[in-house]
Amino acid sequence: MSESAPSQAAPERVERLIENLDRALGGLADAKPFARAPHQNEVFQAAEALMATDEGMRRVYGLADRFDAAGVFTAGPWEDPAKLQPTLVAGSLEAAGVYPVIEILSELRMLAIAKGRVPEPLVPPGDAAEFLEKTLALNLRYLFGSGTEEDRVSRGPHGDTAERLFRLLADELTLAGVRADVVSEIEQISIQRPIMTRRVVELVELARRIPPAAGDEGGVQERLDLFHRAISGPSPMSVEHPELADYRAVLIDLAATPLSAEADAFASSLHATGLACPHHAVLLRTLKRREPALIGPALGLNPLGLAELDQNRELAHQLIQVAILPATAQSIYGFARLLERGLLSRAPVAAGLRRLVELDLTSEVRRNLLARRKPRDGVTANSVLVAGALSVLGQPLGIGQGNNPTCQAARGISLFSQHAPARLLDLVATAARDGLIEVPFDGAQINSQTLTGGLAPNLDLDLDPISVALVPQLDRVYDEIMRRVALRPEDGHKWANPALYGRFVPTGFESALDLTHTRVVDYEAFVRRFFATHHPAYNDGHELVYPNPVGICVTNAHGDHLGAHAVALQRIAEDPHGTLRAYFFNPNNEGRQNWGLGVRPSIRDHGEEEGESSLPFHQFVSRLYAFHYNPYEEGDAFAVPDGVVAEIESLAHESWGRAFIWGEGTP
Amino acid sequence: MPHLAGLAAPRIAVLGFSIEVFEALDRAGVPFVAVVPPEFEAYMNEHDMPAVPWDFEKRNEQSGELAVTLKERGVTVAVPLYEETVQWSGGLNALFRDDPRLFNRSLLFRDKSMMKRKAQMSGLRVGVFEEAENREDVSRFFKRVNKALLKLDGETDDPVHLKPFSAAGCLGHRVIRSEEDAAKLTDDQFPCLLESHLDGQEFSCEVFIHDKKIRFLNITEYVHLGHSNFIPCGPVLEAMRPRIQEACEQLIEAFGIEYGMIHPEWFVSQDKLNFGEVAARIPGGHIFNLIERAYGFDPYAAFALCSDPETPESVLEEFFPATNAHEGYAGSLMVYPRQKVVTKVSVPDELVEHPFYEKHNLFVPVTPKVAERVAYGDHYGTIFFFGDDPIRMGEALQRFEDMDYYV
Repeated sequence: MSESAPSQAAPERVERLIENLDRALGGLADAKPFARAPHQNEVFQAAEALMATDEGMRRVYGLADRFDAAGVFTAGPWEDPAKLQPTLVAGSLEAAGVYPVIEILSELRMLAIAKGRVPEPLVPPGDAAEFLEKTLALNLRYLFGSGTEEDRVSRGPHGDTAERLFRLLADELTLAGVRADVVSEIEQISIQRPIMTRRVVELVELARRIPPAAGDEGGVQERLDLFHRAISGPSPMSVEHPELADYRAVLIDLAATPLSAEADAFASSLHATGLACPHHAVLLRTLKRREPALIGPALGLNPLGLAELDQNRELAHQLIQVAILPATAQSIYGFARLLERGLLSRAPVAAGLRRLVELDLTSEVRRNLLARRKPRDGVTANSVLVAGALSVLGQPLGIGQGNNPTCQAARGISLFSQHAPARLLDLVATAARDGLIEVPFDGAQINSQTLTGGLAPNLDLDLDPISVALVPQLDRVYDEIMRRVALRPEDGHKWANPALYGRFVPTGFESALDLTHTRVVDYEAFVRRFFATHHPAYNDGHELVYPNPVGICVTNAHGDHLGAHAVALQRIAEDPHGTLRAYFFNPNNEGRQNWGLGVRPSIRDHGEEEGESSLPFHQFVSRLYAFHYNPYEEGDAFAVPDGVVAEIESLAHESWGRAFIWGEGTP
Repeated sequence: MPHLAGLAAPRIAVLGFSIEVFEALDRAGVPFVAVVPPEFEAYMNEHDMPAVPWDFEKRNEQSGELAVTLKERGVTVAVPLYEETVQWSGGLNALFRDDPRLFNRSLLFRDKSMMKRKAQMSGLRVGVFEEAENREDVSRFFKRVNKALLKLDGETDDPVHLKPFSAAGCLGHRVIRSEEDAAKLTDDQFPCLLESHLDGQEFSCEVFIHDKKIRFLNITEYVHLGHSNFIPCGPVLEAMRPRIQEACEQLIEAFGIEYGMIHPEWFVSQDKLNFGEVAARIPGGHIFNLIERAYGFDPYAAFALCSDPETPESVLEEFFPATNAHEGYAGSLMVYPRQKVVTKVSVPDELVEHPFYEKHNLFVPVTPKVAERVAYGDHYGTIFFFGDDPIRMGEALQRFEDMDYYV
């Protein structure tokens, strides 16, 4: 592919290249099945040459109705358009090798389906258009990219080619639907209240650059404005004075009534979106000096939070002073939630936070905390760390593992934040100051400093500050414990979870997989035990006291097994519609998932709290492979109806179960 | 092929797995059974293609079973697709035709010093060569050659070439330019063949032989060995065609070749024709693709037809065009990344706009780190050219070799 080629191609060149593609398609159509692969490559090469220009891209699209007949996608992952997913497009476009070319050809076929040029029995034109709109919505940076070097590099070697594809798609489709898709995406991400909000902020900026549709269906503009104001200035004065210094100057002399209106505007925006903006930090810092009574209203605190603030005024002010800065404004949301959790009244938590303010940091932690900050942010590593602590303590279910295979560590930080916040701050302090954590295991201390390896030796630092400081240590300790228990007769998590997370994890442990993780053993007993210990109808009414760190088999939208994953079962309860559901925390940054066969964790409208995912109880069980339980709180396994067990077994068997051998016998 | 159409059982066995070859034979209507390494058996079964799985690496008392299996299926001719299967086809054909010498002849192609000696004994010009067992042999050979060249102190020594006895093409080929180079050789490179350096224009021939007679002689002009070549050759070599044909006939006579195709490489220097080496399998450098592009016949099918003693004369006559009946000149340029790490393919406009440019198959490699190059043939991609002028073709191949396509 030529990145240096001009967009305006010499017409005769395009004609020559289109002849090549035409010939390659003919050759492929004539090829016997055994000889298809080399001819497919010919097509990909010929198409790639054309994709170097806008005109060429359009001409390739002109031949899209011949792709299926010729067998362009035959015997590959793109073969069946009904099975394609918009979420996977970006990954293929960024890949190396021939994959981006096939992916682009697949989108061109989809466009031809959407336009009715290619009849596809399983994908009506409307569905195809919807697929492409979603794909556009998820890949807006190709249309409205920032143009920065970082953006360019992350788009992969075929970035410019992909950009040409999206220009063509935008020409052929109306972007109105895309705008609605993006706004809906913004709402669905932010309702989970993630600590890391960069993605939402980017999407808001991108959505504003899509031209609005003629008729504003569904109040798209208004919904988008809500988010845009949340990150740029939601109050009368912040709109009038976008410059922070101006805004600060105005606040100092503002009359009482408009000042109070400022506080209310920020509070309502914060709670509607979970997003804060730099002006909010300026407001809080000014109120601290000028009108402390308005801090509570400016944070939108409930009565519990207001009382907490009243009780701990001095510490709260100190935290605002140190950690609530324009560059760390997003931690305001965590700060508000922290106050509502009443955590400042716990002496060890208060002391733990105060300790972070003046902690001596190791040079590595300091460097990592400031790695993604600009010099003009004017923050110190300590203020970033304290702000991070406010976020993690206020939003325990807003933690994500980023681009790292460290679900176990991310789940740990969430569990600590929920049930051992003082221990969390202890671990953060030793990790940040001493570069280590110590975890007792089998009567001795495991010291993370003496360990190498871990699952993520090169941690991607696009993480919240607490994860930046702690995950490297937790990850190594987890890896070490799993190494030490590798030869024990049961799944190592039986010992690793209580050791890592704390003694609240019950000692009973059940796994559906054998030690080698190749066989499913005694699945029926596994399911019945989970019902007898967790389902309120069969477990003698024992409540789930602490979250249960369970293991699940993650599957993709087709139900194919992707791997083992750590989530925390938070609670089991009936949703507003009367369905019994399992509510859980998924550290995978995104609670919305599609695990195939109709199993789709939801994040709202089913009684979920911020950051929770949920599934109907039996669907959750069908993805479970390991859980902890209290052997003294077990109900009646025999009472679970056979039909229920059979339904779960079939859901498991037909999804992740396909990757395993079932039972003791030979396959 | 009319004489083969309607045959119930295939008479030809091809040794090796090559989709290109299978497709060519299928298109030409030549029924065949493929003898493939066991890892390809599933692929063959999946596509319902007659196949015998066979481990060519293993040679033992059971080796004869392959001949029995193939005979039972009615096979009478074995055609090698890769260097490593040349002696297997020799052995099989020896059994099929009850002529043990066929096997020994095939070994000529698998031992480069035996090959050279045979060529020398038959009166062909070859460079000076010797077998080497160790580094001292290399050093001694290097000194003797340069002594014979009457080099003065301080003059640059002529290089000598080191080649494994039995590897395909340029695999394992090393150039020894100094005694230090010789000292750096490792034990696993011995024994091997040493030969003096031959200067001059290099070219190869693809000689299709049936019943000891040359049925088609293609001459491939090398622009830069291992990088670029084109077909048919330019006017200088073309003018030498009668002498080249004569030399090939001499080679066929000496090696006792009756059926099939050979791919000898030659040098012309100071109007003398020197023999380099010869192979009896499908040549590298996309030569067969270029023959097809230039002459319009399918060289894979030609190889099969010539390998079969029972192919009628009339079929052969009809199959091959006259050597001057080419539609144009077809060239290929093999591209090797010149950086250690590559992340992107960049094709210059100048190339795409060149009237001779046809297509390329350069793709961004999946791993950015470039593998250390061990031989010609392990290139990352190829650029194909087609045009009407051999001089401009040579210039284009030279011009575009000098560019970075991977950055």
